[in-house]
Amino acid sequence: MNTSANQPELSVQALSVGYSSTPVLRDLHFVCERGQFISLLGPNGAGKTTLLRTLSRHLPPLSGAIQVRGKSLKALGSLELARIMAVVLTDKITPPLLTVEEFVALGRYPHTDYLGRLRQVDKVRIHAALNDVHAGALRQRQFSDLSDGERQKVLIARALAQEPQLLLLDEPTIHLDLRHRIEVMAILRDLCREQGITVLASLHDVDVAAKISDRVALIKNGGMMAWGAPESIINAATVAELYNLEQAVFDSALGGLEIRGPSTGSRVFVLGGMGSGAGVYRMLAKKGFAISTGVLQEHDLDFHVARALGAECISVAPTETVNGLSTEQALQVLLACDFVVDSGFSVGPANRANLDLLATALARGKTVLSLREEKAPVLAGGSSANLYTCRNADQFLHLLDSTMLTSPIPLEEHA
Amino acid sequence: MSSSADLTITPAQAALPARRPVQVFVLLACAAVVLLLLNIAVGSVQYSLAEIIAVLQAPPDASTAGTIIWNIRIPRAIAAVFGGAYLAASGLLLQIYFRNPIVGPYILGISSGATLMVSFVMLTTVSAGLTMFSPYLNTLAAFVGAYTVMLIVLAVANRVGGGATLLIVGLMVGYLCGAVTAILTALAEKEKIKGFVLWQLGSFSGFKWDEIVLLLVGGGCIITLLYILSKPLNAFLLGEEYAASLGVNIRRFRLLILLCSCALAGMITSMAGPVAFIGMAVPHMARLSFGTSDNRILIPGACLMGAVVTSLCDLIARSVMAPVELPLSAITAFFGAPIVISLLLKRRVKL
Repeated sequence: MNTSANQPELSVQALSVGYSSTPVLRDLHFVCERGQFISLLGPNGAGKTTLLRTLSRHLPPLSGAIQVRGKSLKALGSLELARIMAVVLTDKITPPLLTVEEFVALGRYPHTDYLGRLRQVDKVRIHAALNDVHAGALRQRQFSDLSDGERQKVLIARALAQEPQLLLLDEPTIHLDLRHRIEVMAILRDLCREQGITVLASLHDVDVAAKISDRVALIKNGGMMAWGAPESIINAATVAELYNLEQAVFDSALGGLEIRGPSTGSRVFVLGGMGSGAGVYRMLAKKGFAISTGVLQEHDLDFHVARALGAECISVAPTETVNGLSTEQALQVLLACDFVVDSGFSVGPANRANLDLLATALARGKTVLSLREEKAPVLAGGSSANLYTCRNADQFLHLLDSTMLTSPIPLEEHA
Repeated sequence: MSSSADLTITPAQAALPARRPVQVFVLLACAAVVLLLLNIAVGSVQYSLAEIIAVLQAPPDASTAGTIIWNIRIPRAIAAVFGGAYLAASGLLLQIYFRNPIVGPYILGISSGATLMVSFVMLTTVSAGLTMFSPYLNTLAAFVGAYTVMLIVLAVANRVGGGATLLIVGLMVGYLCGAVTAILTALAEKEKIKGFVLWQLGSFSGFKWDEIVLLLVGGGCIITLLYILSKPLNAFLLGEEYAASLGVNIRRFRLLILLCSCALAGMITSMAGPVAFIGMAVPHMARLSFGTSDNRILIPGACLMGAVVTSLCDLIARSVMAPVELPLSAITAFFGAPIVISLLLKRRVKL
């Protein structure tokens, strides 16, 4: 009954958390298993920190039950709890005149004698903890002299020196540069995998959390909006709802956020496909153009990016050849646009029709910006007065900024 | 006097980042012994070395030399050593607890409480009927004042969450006591005021042997307790939340820190009056000389450093303008203020 082998590390039933009878989160239920990486996601002020503080017993729960390895959190002795659970908080602490090694040694508190003397086994654990966070080289440095990234790693090492089975972290990547952000996340994931530690962290990067976590909790409006594997619960709709996103869209296939532009500028038709259009769409969205694109095969990379950016998308089924019907539709849209961009897509039997569309656009006198590296025969043959070739992104962006495209174009016939 | 020149250990040591706890301990211990002996040997009445050794070897007797040395100089020298040690330990505790480098033992109003009660005794006629206690009256009054304030602060500490709130409450209690003292001073007869003002500046003169015994036994117990508490005190370097997550019982421990600190400061204040600066400046000097924040080193280290600095200050106070005795707090401030300023400018200590 009391063996912890089959017990979940942490289980929470009907938990309400908050400060002095003002609940911040109500009716939480979840179970964390050994070795899982659990992310708490949610907007600022949603109550992630309050939940973590309750789980670490800094705050008493308002109601409900928290069990650690099958035992009630309330019933655990403080040293017993310290040997099971360690925390990394956001408080800025700078104890003076302590080396990194001495700082990490403070984490041995629940394991040492009444004077805190370090035995050989304690020293081994301290070194192991520092090595686990790739901070072995910092051992002799003063803790107060460390950079934010180094300090965060050492704070994690201090927690590891407690030899916890449960590690709670409050925004462990906040204030860190990209390298340290990735490094800290990788360290935490390795702790789950290699040492079977259960990590519970509040995070802000949805994309990183989705890629690393085994479970995510979406926290909003005083409760848990969703709980589960990120693959099943993180998608465009839930992310938009969680953060009230309007300017950006999360795409689970892309695994990241696409930032939409105002789409108030001229309308542009992008002939894309085969992954060539993704970068073009982003540049156009950033500059505020309204985008139409086609003809794309669904599940092409370009299709996902264009859809996330809110572009008008003319597409065919994933394995289908671009055919007459869709080309005809695309041509109508194309002719209504202010100018055309050729993303330089690779041409094969399935999308040869897009090249024909390009030729038609040129022939109809549309302004065409081409990012194609070598001139396709179809372009060489057409009239080139309205064709602008860009060898790289810089030239393309420069052309987009020129007044030629933003003021009404004289060639325009379909006003 | 010239031998005190080589005892200006602290500023030179402070610049050294290297850790040599054993060397520093030995150096401080030697300095403490030398100063203790100097304090016994030097005074307004000149004795030769041979005379002093003769008096020390003989049991206390009724001769003038014996009385001066055994009943005046030795208690005073011992009181300076332990007074300095306890004030330094008291200040160290509060600096750790509040995680604030400019906190000292009197920040919570201990000295103001003591001063208030002593002002009743010295400036009014309330105590006229209590002449039977007269040699101990000031001590008794200061004791009552200091510990009353301590109890108020402890009661408040149990009800407030953060250290900053407690700090402000302590300061306010101090101001209240100060206000009453100021009114009493304004109403007092002129000739009584000088004695009261001098009491407020602290002095280790006039210690009796039974006070010394109390100092050694009571204070010794508290210092021993503190040393045993150095492990949770170290955890406190991380702040209350981390300390709690390491298994420290915060409520109980907070009370214990405040109790020990106030008890030590209250004991010295009731016997010697408020001695400024030692409790605030010495913990910094100890931290920098030992180059560590580890309280297992700092608690004995700060005690030794406090003993050395206070003995030195007392020696200066009574020998510079002998036979006139300078107020002890004036000397400690002369000594302490430049060090605190240079620490703040150098930003060597970030608490």
